[in-house]
Amino acid sequence: MTHFPLPTEVIYAPDYPLETARLRLRPFNRGDVDAVFAYRKREEVAEFLFDEPMTHEECAEAVRGRVGQIAFAGEGDKILLAMERKADGLVIGEVSLIWRSMADGQAEIGYILNPDFQGQGYATEAGVALLSFAFGAAELHRVYARCDARNIASWHLMERLGMRREAHFREHARFKGRWDEEFVYAILAHEWRERD
Amino acid sequence: MARQEIIVRTGQLVLRPFDKSDLKAVESYFGLGEVRRYLDWQLRDTIDSKAALDVIRKQTRLTRPGDTVTLAVVRETDGALLGQVSLQWTDATAAQGEIRLILNPTFRRRGYASEAGKALLDLGFERFQLHRIFARIDGGNDAAARLLRGLGMRLEAHYLEHALFQGEWDEELHFAILDREWQRGDGVREISRNKVA
Repeated sequence: MTHFPLPTEVIYAPDYPLETARLRLRPFNRGDVDAVFAYRKREEVAEFLFDEPMTHEECAEAVRGRVGQIAFAGEGDKILLAMERKADGLVIGEVSLIWRSMADGQAEIGYILNPDFQGQGYATEAGVALLSFAFGAAELHRVYARCDARNIASWHLMERLGMRREAHFREHARFKGRWDEEFVYAILAHEWRERD
Repeated sequence: MARQEIIVRTGQLVLRPFDKSDLKAVESYFGLGEVRRYLDWQLRDTIDSKAALDVIRKQTRLTRPGDTVTLAVVRETDGALLGQVSLQWTDATAAQGEIRLILNPTFRRRGYASEAGKALLDLGFERFQLHRIFARIDGGNDAAARLLRGLGMRLEAHYLEHALFQGEWDEELHFAILDREWQRGDGVREISRNKVA
């Protein structure tokens, strides 16, 4: 198995790779640029992200920045993982977990899936694996996610993961030149353990 | 040059800036735990009422995002100071503001908070041209939730255990209202102090 060197002073890190039935969630490496570019260049992917569609060069830089983001050593740290399909080794998306508060055990989960692979349950599979880590090894108390209210695929996924809609903000901010409408979903550790 | 201080008159109330002579009235409610919890950060760590008064006396204008206007809620008939209201300009690009209302428990359940709240929303939408005004309260504060709903604010968020507060899990509600949802109240007029005799 590939060895992933962890930064020193790590408090929590998944046991890589995180495996699901069809996926491996693993740290990014420099060979992932083309696969990431395949979805980050697309308008419909960028629409609900803070970023604009990326050039190949911007993707290369983004992937370089992700290589070491694989463990929690302190508040604000990000775990950014490539979603690799076991069958063919193709990277079809990415998932993230950001440690928002150490004292209060809070984290934010996020995901991007290449639209070519949507509707097949991959994001749900990855989300379950990441939440299992969040509430298992990482001992978090609450995980939340935010999305644009128009991003139906995103909040449907949160609901499939057992997350509750906690907030529906209307016109609370400007986003890409228009009024933003945002959902916040969350799940508590005990809710995760007690889900069906 | 005379300072353009904000004074708002409603049916029974006058909202006006705090003065040094308000100390006794501020002491009567500022020390209460339920009151302290939702004070803004500048006040939350303030130990005594005098220091708090020094802070809120200076909260008289919204010059830049982050600024707060705090006004004393005074009953017109007898000049009794019932509590305070504040409006913080939280975001300039999206024209957002946050309101806070504190009423001395002695004067509750008589409609004063609602009257002051209406005046505060008028101030935010009319004078400061805000697009959206929100309020955050504790999940267990039913009276505050009723008050905010009564002002026409919608429940936008219900956070469960999103933070620890003094060793206990917090529950927080967010209410909000947009400018186009706000109906300007009757009988609310605003004047500037330097125009009064």
